Amino acid sequence: MSKWMQNLLRNKRAMRRRLSALPFSTKLMMLAALRERSLAIAANPLRQRHRP
Amino acid sequence: MLGVARNEDVMKPIVEVLKVINRMQADGVIETYAIGGAVGATFYLEPSATLDIDIFLSLRHAPGSLLVTLAPIYEYLTAPARGYKVENEYVVIEGWPVQFLPPSDALGEEALAQAVETRVDGVRTWVMSAEHLVALALKLGRPKDFARILQFVGSGAVKPGALDRILGRHKLLAKWREFERKFGRNKP
Repeated sequence: MSKWMQNLLRNKRAMRRRLSALPFSTKLMMLAALRERSLAIAANPLRQRHRP
Repeated sequence: MLGVARNEDVMKPIVEVLKVINRMQADGVIETYAIGGAVGATFYLEPSATLDIDIFLSLRHAPGSLLVTLAPIYEYLTAPARGYKVENEYVVIEGWPVQFLPPSDALGEEALAQAVETRVDGVRTWVMSAEHLVALALKLGRPKDFARILQFVGSGAVKPGALDRILGRHKLLAKWREFERKFGRNKP
């Protein structure tokens, strides 16, 4: 694995740790925002056109 | 935002759902409850997108009946005073589809009994332990469940001894070994 990839994975793990350590109420707000985005993406006509 | 009308309900915080469930508990419709699934996992891990909330709960038996029925929950939540709507297997509470799940086996009952008490913006609630969430995911065995187990294992949120005991008690050790074979050395 290249150094660049190792670095990328290390940073990703660090970010996940930082997010995990946030208070539950903060994470629940983020979860609500993620849900809103998922619904918006699913409802987008471009996405629906490409559905199998 | 991508040309899609914003649904104000969608952004209502989950804490509003918890307040409704707590009120239902205080009104005696349900006994105990615990958040499971992806929302429960978010207590321990980084948030990941989910569309619904899984609430595991114990119900009061109707007098003289051995049957467990979700009817009292549906009646309570859809009563004109509250007016929440039922959509398939969900009740949509404050914009969130909520699935109510009575435990179907001893593992579910134990997960409910040993749930962790916490507070969200001052609101009291219960979340399944990390070890029980992993054991339930292993039992369900869908690809997304395996992905969640890997997240738990990578996070260090699972106590190995506690998980061992749960897997042993509920005869899931063989399934765990199979999981390890598939995904490498993942036991914490």
